Amino acid sequence: MALFDLEIDFTQGHFSLAVSVQTQARVLALYGPSGSGKTTTLELIAGIRTPARGRIVVDGQYYFDGNAAASMPVRERRIGYVPQDVLLFPHMDVRRNVEYGWRGDATRAAMLAGLLELEPLMARQVQSLSGGERQRVALARALNASPQLLLLDEPLAAVDLARRARIIEALTRVRDELAIPIVYVAHAKEEVRALADVTIVMDGGRVVAAGPSASVLP
Amino acid sequence: MTLRGSLRWLVLCGLWLGLAQPLHAEVLVSAASSLSEVLTVIAARFEAASGERVQLNFGASNTLARQIMAGARVDVFISADQTQMDRISADIAPGTRIDLLTNQLAIAVRRGTSDVKTPRDLLLPSVRRLAIGDPAAVPAGVYARQYLEKLGLWADLQPKIVPAGSVRLALAAVESGAAEAAIVYATDVAAAAQTSTAFVVPAADGPRIVYPGTVVKSTRNAAGARSFLAFLQTAEARSLFTTAGFGVIAPATR
Amino acid sequence: MSPEIREIALFTSLAALVATVVMLIPGVGLAWLLARRPFPGRSIVETLVSLPLVMPPVATGLVLLWLLGRRGPVGRVLERIGIEIVFTPTAVVIAMAVMGLPLLVRTARVGFEQNTHRFEAIAETLGAGPWRVFTSVTLPLASRHIAAGALLGFSRALGEFGATIVLAGSIPGRTRTIAVGIYSFTETGRDADALALLGVSVALAFVAVLASNRIAGTAS
Repeated sequence: MALFDLEIDFTQGHFSLAVSVQTQARVLALYGPSGSGKTTTLELIAGIRTPARGRIVVDGQYYFDGNAAASMPVRERRIGYVPQDVLLFPHMDVRRNVEYGWRGDATRAAMLAGLLELEPLMARQVQSLSGGERQRVALARALNASPQLLLLDEPLAAVDLARRARIIEALTRVRDELAIPIVYVAHAKEEVRALADVTIVMDGGRVVAAGPSASVLP
Repeated sequence: MTLRGSLRWLVLCGLWLGLAQPLHAEVLVSAASSLSEVLTVIAARFEAASGERVQLNFGASNTLARQIMAGARVDVFISADQTQMDRISADIAPGTRIDLLTNQLAIAVRRGTSDVKTPRDLLLPSVRRLAIGDPAAVPAGVYARQYLEKLGLWADLQPKIVPAGSVRLALAAVESGAAEAAIVYATDVAAAAQTSTAFVVPAADGPRIVYPGTVVKSTRNAAGARSFLAFLQTAEARSLFTTAGFGVIAPATR
Repeated sequence: MSPEIREIALFTSLAALVATVVMLIPGVGLAWLLARRPFPGRSIVETLVSLPLVMPPVATGLVLLWLLGRRGPVGRVLERIGIEIVFTPTAVVIAMAVMGLPLLVRTARVGFEQNTHRFEAIAETLGAGPWRVFTSVTLPLASRHIAAGALLGFSRALGEFGATIVLAGSIPGRTRTIAVGIYSFTETGRDADALALLGVSVALAFVAVLASNRIAGTAS
């Protein structure tokens, strides 16, 4: 279980985001319609965007502290981020993508290769991968950098129905075997129920409800 | 970059450094382009006779003068007119400036097709365009204008005048049929295949066209430069200049 | 092909190649700076870089001659350490590089202006520092534009005339390039040699355009 302490104020153009959540979770889901600020919240946690005020603390680790005007540089945060369009580096093959942020943990690399069934993909060009394969490769790339927190943006969106079960299984094993806290953006209830123990429901940049997934999403 | 790639660049750079070695014990001659053929021959003779190496740089005299004024390390400068030589007067090695050659103006026409026999014939309706070097910039054009003014033809001919960027371009206009006649140097007509000389302006009637030469002050090979300039005044060089159509001037250092 | 023509063709190709290598680092640096880093005076730098594109090449040559001549502000310093530029093959390379640079910068800049920020952000989340992000993500993603720009610059260098003849002269076997050679040969009535050089230059242009089309083709 990780302790999430998020107090975020952020404005860009006409869009304003105000999130205030203190909760313990293994997998924290951000649930809501598109445009509700879920992805922006992920980017704020990852450090790609910077809040105007507030704090972002996970398990005692301060990523952003508005009071001290301190923002940890993105590359030092050790946060694995898989955006919705996964953003595999197009000029590298699968192996170079997967190994890009590798921190020398051979056991983990071997485990990930098995878990995500990467071996047959390693020599492929990323352009030739299917949606599910891309998702697995992006997940492996993020996890190989030994992150302390994993951010996933709609990991099932580009995966066809038949293969979703496998991705969900892989994510469950990441959650259970690697014990890395996850923040998970989704807008399908079943998915959220299967993976997340706590859910934050967002709309229009505001938190509408927060609590155990089963009670928030009946 | 791979090792092989780096090696390739290394070889390239090495090659370049080899090529870019500074000139040593050579005579670098900047000369008006109208002299290129004859000077190439003479330079070869000079090399054989003296053991010096000569590098020739041909161009428009005003460009060559500007390069020298900017400090280009030239040993000998031969200009197509006195004006450009006067511009570099600060760079002339004292006592080395000398008038070397003369040239004459000539009327060039397309081979075998023209009824132009004298300057006055340029007024004929069959001559619709007359190409000369740009009288505002090109020495040959300045001379052509002076000559036509002296004959009292300039005003009448002016509507027909096509100014060209160089003597060669004026000749090219005749070769291509864009102009029926051109006024150029006598020595240039011989070089162009399609044209012939209709009329050579007698030295007494035309403007005085003189090619001065000098050793440039900043030379690092003063002995070589002086001996090259001296070689241009030997009987051997003079006969080559004469064959090419130039007049030679008795040595008279000024 | 006579040995003289062959020598001129080889020298020109080599000089253009060296010029391309020389312009690559400042060119890519400038392109990146102009595309990614707003700084005071950017439009001035932008104009300066593009100037050789719009100025008559001879004027560019005169500026270079003024700068690099032994009496010029840069040439004076170089002379003190024993380097002379005017009338050397190095002058040919400098003239070529200055004339080719704007084409490289303008084309490479488009590569850096592509929206690759999110790829760079991902690289950062994976622990990459600024230099690694630049070399492993930014640069490769712009590489096609850089290559196309370098090829354009190379082609421009191959055909450079005005600045070359002013800064480097037309010394056979030393600074005479294809373009200068064509001019000198026609000026002196050596039409056959001029024609031979013209053929060489057409062939080289053909190869360069073919190569640039191939790069453009793989880009789409």
